[in-house]
Amino acid sequence: MTRAPPAWLRSARVISGLTIVLLIVLCAALAPLIAPHDPNEQNLVATFLPPAWAKGGDPAFPFGTDSLGRDVLSRLIFGARVAMLVAVLASLGAMLIGAVLAYVAGYFGGRIDALIGRAVDVWMSFPPVILSLILMVGLGVGLRNVILAIILVDWTRFCRVLRGEVLVVARKDYVAAARLLGFSHWRAITREIVPASLPLLITLVSLEMGIDVIVEAILSFVGLSVSAETPAWGQMIADARQYIYDSPWNLIFPILAIFFAVFGFNMLGDGLRRTLDVRLTATQRV
Amino acid sequence: MIATVFPLVGRRLLASVLILLIVSALLFFVLHVLPVDPAAMSLPPSATIAEIEAMRREMGLDLPLPRQYLIWLSQVLQGDFGSSIHFRRDVLGLVGSALPATIELALLSMIVATVLGIFGGLMLFHVRGSRMEPIVDFGSILLLSIPEFLWSLFFILIFGVALQWLPFTGRLDPDLRLPQGTGFLLVDALVAGRFDIFWSAMRHMVLPCFALGIAFSPTIMRVLRSSLLDVYQEDYIHLARLRGLSEWRILRRHALKNAILPTLSLMGVQFGFLFGGTLLVEVIFSYPGLGNLMVDAVRNADLPIIQAVGLAYCAVVLVINTVVDSLYLVLNPKLRIR
Repeated sequence: MTRAPPAWLRSARVISGLTIVLLIVLCAALAPLIAPHDPNEQNLVATFLPPAWAKGGDPAFPFGTDSLGRDVLSRLIFGARVAMLVAVLASLGAMLIGAVLAYVAGYFGGRIDALIGRAVDVWMSFPPVILSLILMVGLGVGLRNVILAIILVDWTRFCRVLRGEVLVVARKDYVAAARLLGFSHWRAITREIVPASLPLLITLVSLEMGIDVIVEAILSFVGLSVSAETPAWGQMIADARQYIYDSPWNLIFPILAIFFAVFGFNMLGDGLRRTLDVRLTATQRV
Repeated sequence: MIATVFPLVGRRLLASVLILLIVSALLFFVLHVLPVDPAAMSLPPSATIAEIEAMRREMGLDLPLPRQYLIWLSQVLQGDFGSSIHFRRDVLGLVGSALPATIELALLSMIVATVLGIFGGLMLFHVRGSRMEPIVDFGSILLLSIPEFLWSLFFILIFGVALQWLPFTGRLDPDLRLPQGTGFLLVDALVAGRFDIFWSAMRHMVLPCFALGIAFSPTIMRVLRSSLLDVYQEDYIHLARLRGLSEWRILRRHALKNAILPTLSLMGVQFGFLFGGTLLVEVIFSYPGLGNLMVDAVRNADLPIIQAVGLAYCAVVLVINTVVDSLYLVLNPKLRIR
């Protein structure tokens, strides 16, 4: 007997989003195995090669080469490592801080809620890009600090949305009943409230991963992320922008890579929101 | 109405000033944990350790941080933001000349985003339940996945490099001179009666404004659609139908009035993001605004500029939020009772 797959796995959005995301994760994980070349290997006699299908392309370099003759495809595959690492770690970190504060604020209410609310207000008065740039100045460059900066900027996204949800759930009768049964605050939050807000949390994480890919690309575009030896999509864009007339292809491929990654996470997030949210009606879920 | 709106707006403004103070303290402390020594940077590399020590004392860097912050704050309140370490110019002048350019860019982009967002939202709502819905909906996720800097690069590739229709660097053609004035180029050009400058500035604005506008419109579309869907569940819409009003009139006179409110408050938040989004667009289009100033300052670890520009971004966002909140009060009579 096989059980029918759960509703969220039958949604076309979730499936297509998940496929794209898994594909990129696979690329990142298996980069040394599947990349045709060393991403930093320079080939100065073959710079600015167009993609293999264009006129003058070399089948050895399927997506062509950049200004130093490095293989674009290999650099894209290795660039996925940075993107996925940041997406996973930064979104989980931001979720952890944001969610804990949201549960505390929404559950206890009162003064602590007001305090956390003010903190969110202060954070929201900064455009996210500006705040992450300033934090990068304070923390110094490097991948670890990019992740830290994103966490310190984006926890508010979770806190804002989740707090409202927790506020509603925490006033429900079944939570009061659990408290009357002698559940501690900790147990009431972890056993009664967290499961109720889990669908929202998962959706937010998925969308946040897309945002993180963009922020990492922005920071590496400005030159504040990884060092020059590590290929990253934003860095590839910054390099290619200087040679826009020589080889537009060099610019197009990393743009498409970022776009596909973000699109995958957005599809996944949107699909999950529709299928996991129990309050949506059947028609809205389609 | 003004009597009720005014105190509320006043309270918002007071809160904004408080937030700005907290922000300035945070900025100061974040930037001063940094390993860079401003005293050493402002002296030639041949300076001796004793000279650097003297400079540190002169700049007040040997004092405890809270003292330093208070000194800095009192100078800022007198309009003295210090001078740039790298450019060796007054920071206030640098920020003052860059800020209008960025505000101009952000406002025009917001107009583009609003127009596209409202049209798109109405279209998304119009196709509800039809076979077109999944396609249009898919399209809106697609749009949502392209951030402003990818649009900028696309536009440069297509309209700048391939078709060569529009310029994509700076604010003006190199042979034109900036007219003196407010710094809002479009306004200055019109005041001076220089339509050639106005035209050139407009052409330079098209690509960055559309890149920002398109990137920020899908969120507006989706919120407008879902608030329209909510409003159409209400009894007064059914009643309007029963009275035999046309669909267009129901939308315009009844539904849109209420559905626009959540959209408006979202647009306030969106404008904050858009204002931050100008940073990268400015860098890509070599547009001489706050974003380019900031990125240069970050590369040179030019603290006085980073502090001032950070504050400028926050101040603009807070002003916008206050304006949007006041507008919300004016448009939503329910909030005025008190």
